[in-house]
Amino acid sequence: MSHATNTQTFADEVKAIPGGEHLELCYSCGTCVSKCMIQQKLEPDYNPRRLLRMVMMDMRQEAFTSPTTWMCSECDLCYSACPQEIHISQVIAAVKQLAVEAGYQSPLTPVEVNEDLCSGCGICVMVCPYEAPSLFEKEVNGEMDRLSQVDTNKCMGCGICVAACPLGAISREGVSNQEITDQLPIQSTQPPKLVTFICDWSLRESADIDILESYPADLVKVIHIPCTGRIDPQHAMMALDSGAEAVLVCGCKSGECHFKRGNYVATCKMNLLDTMLSQFNFPNKHIRFVQIGTQERGRIRHEIDAMLAEIGVLEVTQ
Amino acid sequence: MTVKSKPKLAFYWAASCGGCEISVIELGMHLVDVSEAADIVFWPAAMDFKYNDVRAMAENEIDYCFFNGAIRNSENEEIAHLLREKSKNLVAFGSCSYLGGIPGLANMYDIESLCQRIYETSPSLDDSRGTRPQTTTTMPEGEIKIPELYDHVKLLAEVVDVDYFMPGCPPVVDQIWKVFQAVLDGNLPPKGAVIGADTKTVCDVCPREKGTPGFRIKEFKRPHEVDLDPNKCFLTQGVICAGPVTRAGCGIPCLKGNMPCRGCYGPAEGIVDQGTKLASVIGALIDTDNPEELQNILDTIVDPAGTFYRFGLAHSIMSKMKYD
Repeated sequence: MSHATNTQTFADEVKAIPGGEHLELCYSCGTCVSKCMIQQKLEPDYNPRRLLRMVMMDMRQEAFTSPTTWMCSECDLCYSACPQEIHISQVIAAVKQLAVEAGYQSPLTPVEVNEDLCSGCGICVMVCPYEAPSLFEKEVNGEMDRLSQVDTNKCMGCGICVAACPLGAISREGVSNQEITDQLPIQSTQPPKLVTFICDWSLRESADIDILESYPADLVKVIHIPCTGRIDPQHAMMALDSGAEAVLVCGCKSGECHFKRGNYVATCKMNLLDTMLSQFNFPNKHIRFVQIGTQERGRIRHEIDAMLAEIGVLEVTQ
Repeated sequence: MTVKSKPKLAFYWAASCGGCEISVIELGMHLVDVSEAADIVFWPAAMDFKYNDVRAMAENEIDYCFFNGAIRNSENEEIAHLLREKSKNLVAFGSCSYLGGIPGLANMYDIESLCQRIYETSPSLDDSRGTRPQTTTTMPEGEIKIPELYDHVKLLAEVVDVDYFMPGCPPVVDQIWKVFQAVLDGNLPPKGAVIGADTKTVCDVCPREKGTPGFRIKEFKRPHEVDLDPNKCFLTQGVICAGPVTRAGCGIPCLKGNMPCRGCYGPAEGIVDQGTKLASVIGALIDTDNPEELQNILDTIVDPAGTFYRFGLAHSIMSKMKYD
C-alpha cells in the first residue's frame, strides 16, 4: 500500500499513519533530545526534534537515511517530557514505515535465525517487544517444518528473544550464547570473585564505564549485554559454577528500559531463579538484580562494592 | 565363516519406581525377538539372577547394561560399580539414572528433614517411637545390615563412567525397541551420546497453535484448574509446559492426552540447565510494569524448582554445586 499521491506532502503521508498525526504539534523545543539516551550515549546525530522538522520541510531522503528514523527503540522517555505531549516514537515509527515502504533498510544488526536449530516453538514471536519474529512453514527434507523468521527492519537487537530461545537458534552478533559463555571464567584457574552482567543503557555516563574498568579482572568480570532482557539465568548459574562467588545483574529502573520491557523480563527471570535457589536452600546465594535509574550516576560502584562486601572480599567503609 | 556370538544384555534397577522395567516388558513380542538375538544375563526385576552371578562374570562380559534408577544408597552405588566393571557399554536408562528423575527432587531438602517427615511427622504414620532405619541392627539372631541412605540423590554418571544416556520417564516403547535394534545391529552412535530421542525440543513436534506476538501471561494455572483447549499451546493458556526446553522423542503422549509436557526427556541438545532455561522462557512471557502485580503473577507458579526441574533437579547446576 502506498500513502503517496502527487498532491500529498511528506508531512501529510506521515500524518496519515496512526501515531503520525501529532507531528504538527511540535514547536521544536528540543526537550525530547535532552531526554534521549541514544543521543547521549550512541549517536550524536540522533535527534527527534530535527527529524520532525525534516518531515515538515519535506526532506524525505534525509529523513529516511537519518539514524533517528532507525534507532528509536520506543523507550518513550521523551514522551513524558514533551510539553506538547507528542508521542514522538509513534511519529518516528510512521516515518520508518514510509522508509521501509520506499525500500530503505535498517542499518542496525538484527538477530538471525539458525533454521537447523529452530524448533518453531514461537517463544521469540511472543516475547519480542517489536513483533520482529514470526513463524512460517518451509519444506525441509520433504516435510513441512515450522520455523522462525525475523523482520530485520523491526528488530532492535535487544536480545530478549536470544535469551528466551531455548536452543540458541535465534542470535545476534555479540550476544550469542557462545559469546556470553566465552566470557565466563569457565576453566579459569583464577576466576573473578564477582561476575557482573550489565545492560549498557543502565550506565549513565562515561564515568560509570571508568568505574567498571577500575576493578581488577581477578576481582570483577564485567559482561556487557544490550539489555537485561538478554540475561539467561542459565548463564548466572554457569558463572557461579565456574568459580565466581557472586553474580550481579544491573539493569534500568522500572519504566526506563530502552527496549520497552527488557527490565521487566529480567525481573521475572531473576526472581524465578532466586525463588528456585531459596527452595533449594542453596548455600551462599549471592545473586542480585539491581535497577539503576537515569538520575543515579555512580550507583554502579556502590552496587558492586556492596556485592563484594557481601562475599567478604571488600570491607564495608560506610 | 565365524558364527557371531549373541550379545549379552543386562538390566538393573536402582532408585526407581519400576516404570522403566514395565516399559521394557511392554515391548511384548519384540521381547521374544530380543531374547532370541541376545542373551539376557541379569535382570532382577524379571528373571532369577543374583548379585553373585554378576560377581562371577569376567570383566566386560556384558555387552550392554541398561541401568535404570538413580543412586540413592550404598547398594545402588555398589552395584553400579559392579555392573560398570562387568559391562562393555553402560546405558543410563530412563530419567532417574540420567537426570535424577523424580527421586532427585529430594535434593531440595536435607536428609534429616526428609527422614523426619517420612519416619516421624507424616500424617499416614502410626508409630510414636520415631524409629529410623539403621545401617546395622543387632537382633537375637545376629546383625542385620541394610544399605546406607545417601544425603542426596546422585546420577549414575556421578559414580561411574556412562557410555550412553537414554531419557524418559519411562523411555517409550518405540524408542526402546529402536535402541535395542541398534544394539543388536551394532549401530549405536559414538559414546557419550543421548540415545532413543531426538535433538530438538518437544515444541518441534507439537502440532498445537503457537502464541501470537505480544502474548503475555497474567496468571499461571495448573492443568486441573483450566478447561484446556486441545489445539492451543499450553503456555498461551497460562499453563506451564516444559516443552520448549525438553528433548523430543517421546511421541508426545502427554500433549495428546491434553496435558502439558513435564520435561521427562530432559534438556534438549544445547541446553545446559533445563530448569533455569525454562525460567528464561517463562520469565520472558510475563509482563507488567507494576512490581506488586509482577510478584502476584509469579506467586501463581506453584513450586518453581519442582516444576521447572521436575525430572532434572539432581542434574542441575545448583544441585551439582550444593553437593560437590
